[in-house]
Amino acid sequence: MSAVIDVQGVEKMYRRKVHALRGVDLQVGAGEIFGLLGPNGAGKSTLVKVLMTVISATRCKGTMLGKKIGDKSALTQVGYLPEHHNFPKYLTSQQVLRHFGAMAGVDRKTRNKRADELLEIVNMTDAASHKLGTYSKGMRQRIGIAQALMNDPKLVVLDEPTDGVDPIGRRDIREILLRLKGEGRTVFLNSHLLSELEMVCDRVAIMVHGQMRQQGTIDDLTEGRSGFRIRSATAIDGLAIDASKAAVHGIECAGEPGEHELVFQTSNAQTVQPAIDSLRKHGVVIESLGFHRPSLEDLFIQAVSEEPDGARPGAQQGKKGARS
Amino acid sequence: MILRQTKAILIDAYRELNAKKLFWLTMILNLLAVIGFASIGINERGFSFLFWTIEGEFNTSVMSKSTFYKFEFITWGIPIWLSWGTTVLALISTAGIIPDLVSGGTIEPLLSKPISRARLFLTKYLTGLGFVAAQVLVFSAGCFLVLGIRAGSWEFGMFLAIPIVLAFFSYLFSVCAFIGIVTRSTITSLLLTIVFFLLVFGVHLSEAITISGRENAAVQIEDAQDNVESQERFATKQIEKYKEQGKPIPGQDGEPIPPGRSDTFEAVNPTLAFARENLVKAQRKYDSWEGWADWFIRAKVVLPKTQETIGLLERNLINDDEFDGFIEMMERLSDDGSGNQQDPRANDRIQAIYAGRSMTWILGTSFAFEAFFLGLSTLIFVRRDF
Repeated sequence: MSAVIDVQGVEKMYRRKVHALRGVDLQVGAGEIFGLLGPNGAGKSTLVKVLMTVISATRCKGTMLGKKIGDKSALTQVGYLPEHHNFPKYLTSQQVLRHFGAMAGVDRKTRNKRADELLEIVNMTDAASHKLGTYSKGMRQRIGIAQALMNDPKLVVLDEPTDGVDPIGRRDIREILLRLKGEGRTVFLNSHLLSELEMVCDRVAIMVHGQMRQQGTIDDLTEGRSGFRIRSATAIDGLAIDASKAAVHGIECAGEPGEHELVFQTSNAQTVQPAIDSLRKHGVVIESLGFHRPSLEDLFIQAVSEEPDGARPGAQQGKKGARS
Repeated sequence: MILRQTKAILIDAYRELNAKKLFWLTMILNLLAVIGFASIGINERGFSFLFWTIEGEFNTSVMSKSTFYKFEFITWGIPIWLSWGTTVLALISTAGIIPDLVSGGTIEPLLSKPISRARLFLTKYLTGLGFVAAQVLVFSAGCFLVLGIRAGSWEFGMFLAIPIVLAFFSYLFSVCAFIGIVTRSTITSLLLTIVFFLLVFGVHLSEAITISGRENAAVQIEDAQDNVESQERFATKQIEKYKEQGKPIPGQDGEPIPPGRSDTFEAVNPTLAFARENLVKAQRKYDSWEGWADWFIRAKVVLPKTQETIGLLERNLINDDEFDGFIEMMERLSDDGSGNQQDPRANDRIQAIYAGRSMTWILGTSFAFEAFFLGLSTLIFVRRDF
């Protein structure tokens, strides 16, 4: 995988007090949709701003599109939609696109042509001559995405692109993202809308307290955590758990005495049958049984609920399941 | 790419001003000022205002139409409209340029473009100056046409107002930009810049007053010195007269000096004591004025020379003869018969001090001030995390 973004040990300290980024490593491959998620205050936007030269990192090694982070020339091939953007309200969407196209160095003829094309892609042709001040949040977001694409970028960085967008708008944005991927562009998404990311991302990273907790494809991250889940109407005692574990020797089992469910980490239904028999023998009333694959939300909540790795600067907790 | 980006920033600045209605509003106000300039005139019978004539001694026999309009430009156009009116309007219009640039949500998309921060900031700064240039161009062109059409004198020197007013405004705008980048507030930058403008004006006024006081005191010292010398000469003659008449001379040959007199000279010429006292008083007065004047002169070295910069226009627009005639006329008009006129020698000394301030010094120190604030603002902008 050739990395479009490849950074190591990114640190950001604000006023020597707030440690926003604590040694972040990140690799984003060419042509993929990469999702960065994390709770509020995790440092996602700070990381994006470091990449976009909006803020300077306290320490940062690595490249973006083959150029050192901070090198403005790399930005000719990057499109960026910031979170909470505030494009000039006195401009029409066409003027916004042309203005930011010019700022990105696009020549006039290409600018005009591309602005019309993008307005069509984001479904805003009808409102092209209206001023941004008259737009809804969702409409402004669409224009923001179009603005990020004016320079025909290789890398598109979108910070909370579906923020304030209705479900239809979100679906449209998802389609745009898939279209961008289809065109061979790399998309870097920063969002806390997990279901959105799950639907479009090839790889994701979870950031918590300025550290990268997990990084990889969703399959990689859920590997070893999916399996057959047995739910009981009553609490399962330790004896029953031990017996069922012994019945399926060699298969990992997650579940504690007193809980109502056990997860056997296998995808083969046949191999869990002895465990079911054993549980029934111990008087466990099985309520439901099925194959369970953790969602991105499960992974996220698990990552967030894990204790942070102290305040050790530059520390990064183990990348469980990471496949970078 | 540089030209493309610069053009985009300039067009955006125009659209922003246009959206605020300020661009055209200020243009209309400038045109109204030109109409005001054109409505007043002079003819063979006296002053004219629109279609009416106020008959009087002040007519074209005293001053030509061309000179009248030049003086109108110098006495009203420059110090009132260009120095205050245009400046305040321009500050109101442009004070938001830098705070708007650095506001959240606006700056991020711009910084993510392939343009250096310094260039982005300085181009934005130039858009503010460009706006003022357009305003002054309209006013100067209007006045140029008025002078040409009404007085038959096509005075291209009037266009010097553009670079001069631009330089004058740029000193203030550098402060406005600095406050804008630090506080990110339009209203704070506007108010503090106006306060700074008043401060500079106050220093200028105080310096003028203290220099005037000092030079008047210097003239008084000269007069008092002459008087003392004259009285001493008279005292010398008196002593000789005493000797000739065989009178005892106080302070000599055991003759006591009368109380209140410090030496023989004063004893034989009591007026000398008053003359010497006046000299001491004048000296004290001079020392006092000089102390204050020194402070204001020092303060002025580091501050931008707003009034002197505007004054450069006067220097270039009218010749020495016209200027002397104008001063004479102004003195005549302001003579209220009270005799409270400034001593012409003090006036000459003051004029010499101001004339000694070269254009290089005026502009050099002012631009150094501007460069300092602009450099500091650029540095903050380049280093700041947004």
